[in-house]
Amino acid sequence: MDNETRLMRVLAAATLPARDPAFVLAVMRRTEQQRYRVERVRALLRGAGLAAAAAALAVPSIGWAAAYAEALQAGALAFLALVALVWATRSLAQRASAAWAG
Amino acid sequence: MTGDEENRLIAAARRGGSRAFAILVGAHQQAVRGFLRRFTGHWADADDIAQEAFVTAWSRLDRFAGRSSFRSWVSGIGFRIARDARRAHDRASVRDGEWAAYQSDSDEGAAPLEDRIALAGAMAALPQTQRAAVALCLGEGFSHSEAAAILKQPLGTVKSHVNRGRERLLKALGGEDG
Repeated sequence: MDNETRLMRVLAAATLPARDPAFVLAVMRRTEQQRYRVERVRALLRGAGLAAAAAALAVPSIGWAAAYAEALQAGALAFLALVALVWATRSLAQRASAAWAG
Repeated sequence: MTGDEENRLIAAARRGGSRAFAILVGAHQQAVRGFLRRFTGHWADADDIAQEAFVTAWSRLDRFAGRSSFRSWVSGIGFRIARDARRAHDRASVRDGEWAAYQSDSDEGAAPLEDRIALAGAMAALPQTQRAAVALCLGEGFSHSEAAAILKQPLGTVKSHVNRGRERLLKALGGEDG
């Protein structure tokens, strides 16, 4: 056998890997990990942006709250009273329907 | 896999289709891993680099212009990762090439063990780009043009690398005929 044939034979035989489903799985696992990392960084950046915007809005509203303290207090009390009224109504309605069914 | 089918899968993968990308990986893994095994001479490193190449390809799919085949593009990414990381140092490639030669000894119809050991040593001794050109064209059956695109080298340079590399491998097998 001449050297050319020997070379071609060795090259053909040497290192051809078998088709390996585990390799595909490993690649897909790594792509999912990368996708997760990218999503996490995006979520962090989004959160940081929202926090910065909230802080930027909060600073001027401190002065506004000081100027309208009484109105703010009355508004907060009215809001709490409204929440209590809704809660009580829902609770009574639930009890009434339970008693009706029983 | 036909060109149309491959383009359809690439388009689906670009839209985030994991299943389409998994089919592409399955179809091209043998060529990419085979090339990197021959190039690095280190099986475990080669498979790790091949994984990295496919993951990089996944994240850069929007940059794939389609001028070359998907297989060539991923092989090029793998080549650059292997070259830049310098994971495949020559001592390891000679040792592991010999180990690989022993490992596949039981293959039916395989070439003689001494030829495989001689070839592994000679491959490891080739300069980096020459080794890559030989691995692509003589080992994996890529065309010279494909190899030129993968290695980002002029066509004439690749042809010359393949010829010189072939001569050196023949010499390692005990002669210069062919």
